[in-house]
Amino acid sequence: MKDENCLTLAIESSCDETSAAVLRGGRELLSNIISTQIPVHQKFGGVVPEIASRKHIVNIMPVIDEALREASVTLQEINQIAVTYGPGLVGALLVGVSAAKALAFSLGVPLVGVNHLEGHIFANFLSSPELKPPFMALVVSGGHTSLVHVKGYNHFALMGQTRDDAAGEAFDKIARVMGLPYPGGPQIDKLAREGNPDAIDFPRALQEKGNYEFSFSGLKSAVLNYLNSSAQKGCPVPKADVAASFQKSVIEVLVSKAMEAVKETGMDTLVLAGGVAANSSLEQRLLDVTALHGYKFYYPSRVLCTDNAAMIACRAFYQSRAGFYSNLYLNAVPGLALTDIEN
Amino acid sequence: MLILSLDTSTMASSVAIVSETRLLAELTVQTRLTHSETLLPHIEQVLKLAGVSKEELAGIAVSIGPGSFTGLRIGLATAKGMAYALHVPIIGCSTLEALAYHYPVPGIYIAALLDAQKGNAYAAFYCWENEKLKVKESVRILSVDEVLEAASRLDGPVILSGDIVQKQLADRQVLPQNVHLALPHLCMPRAANTGMLGISRLKQGEAGNVMDMEPVYIRRSEAEVLWEARHRKADL
Ligand SMILES: [Zn+2]
Repeated sequence: MKDENCLTLAIESSCDETSAAVLRGGRELLSNIISTQIPVHQKFGGVVPEIASRKHIVNIMPVIDEALREASVTLQEINQIAVTYGPGLVGALLVGVSAAKALAFSLGVPLVGVNHLEGHIFANFLSSPELKPPFMALVVSGGHTSLVHVKGYNHFALMGQTRDDAAGEAFDKIARVMGLPYPGGPQIDKLAREGNPDAIDFPRALQEKGNYEFSFSGLKSAVLNYLNSSAQKGCPVPKADVAASFQKSVIEVLVSKAMEAVKETGMDTLVLAGGVAANSSLEQRLLDVTALHGYKFYYPSRVLCTDNAAMIACRAFYQSRAGFYSNLYLNAVPGLALTDIEN
Repeated sequence: MLILSLDTSTMASSVAIVSETRLLAELTVQTRLTHSETLLPHIEQVLKLAGVSKEELAGIAVSIGPGSFTGLRIGLATAKGMAYALHVPIIGCSTLEALAYHYPVPGIYIAALLDAQKGNAYAAFYCWENEKLKVKESVRILSVDEVLEAASRLDGPVILSGDIVQKQLADRQVLPQNVHLALPHLCMPRAANTGMLGISRLKQGEAGNVMDMEPVYIRRSEAEVLWEARHRKADL
């Protein structure tokens, strides 16, 4: 079979979206069905793992069925099954992994276990067909913040990642304390547009040159302290200013480190990936700065920023070309990290 | 008619191939290996041992609970994926009823008890009448002492079966006079039973729907319970 005709059916269930997608070759997306649970978790102020797992087991087959129907492909035509096996919530991951193994075994086709974070980077190949490695990728999601030098489709070097909280975690926590509904990231982004980003001077960690690690716990504490002491003094909290100043602090750190990494590695392209990639201020800032320095900049379309199976299918296609398959013993790995890969 | 049956509701992982009249093969493992890793390899092995190809299967029976939430979902997701890909019916079977299939004997009661955490059991009482399984007392969450109390009130011998027997009852010195403990290998739900239960249900046309089948949890998630408690208090 020619590579470009390879049909991948992918499943993603690492957090609060159940998703299935069909991809032809590496880039031609035939369907990408996402069933979100956000409304279910909203009243709890965050994702409840047991509830997420309960939703996944109900949603999984309808989502797969819909993905095949929308792609006008039968299950028997599928050449390989891809699935996210980490990182994520273990109970949630296990639903997808178990279903994917059962499908691969029953159909007698190969199984490809995919790292969710690598999937986020590969979402860009679907949004931007002209994009090819090498490039620098800034991965910013709810649980992860990393800089990855993507040297080839199966050749990554991790430049640095967060030592403590991920950027997305800080967004969610601060949103919760300010009484904004879950998920907090987009709420802060919206509120920040009405505030003054220079109103409050929040700290920026690990600013020394050549340091590609991130730390957002100090910033998070500073914002929480600020909110607390305002409340104690009985002052009205300028929520929009807090949101804008906090967001500016996060974005400056992300942008400066990403730009330095691009420059130091001699790349001419920066790619943004992960759930926080949907933050409009971060996108805008990176657009401006990369344009100023003459670098190319890519970020995924809105739907490909969220957790989705299309990106998992894309990653799986390139993995399988290098022979990176899984066997039927594949297990969920909730703490799976981004690491160097050389192939 | 051949069906594949699965039970991953407890520490044991069990898969079997059964016909109406015969257990062709069963693979039951009670070790620390995780179900998620080994279930599919075990299915592959049991088919090989039985000399059956997956295309010959007429259905997939799966224990849908109660039991370990994660274990149940691993079994059900696997059964759904297989039933969907092989175009065969899925049959969801009660884990408690499957335990009662160990003792198809009239004149006794079977207490099917599965670990509900914190010293509690999902408990149901069954008896066999005219070759049919009857529910004496339907499933509730009881403490181990409440189980013994309920059993002691019954008017005949009671066999206690289920993983909670091994975990909580095996070392008890004193039991009510009419109460007996199942042997260790009959305390675990076994896929052979699930299969026998499943095949009779399938023949009666009682297949489930692969699109919306859910485990039988009995319990809601802790987060929901806490949330409601908090909001009820706020309403007072
Ligand atoms: Zn994600």
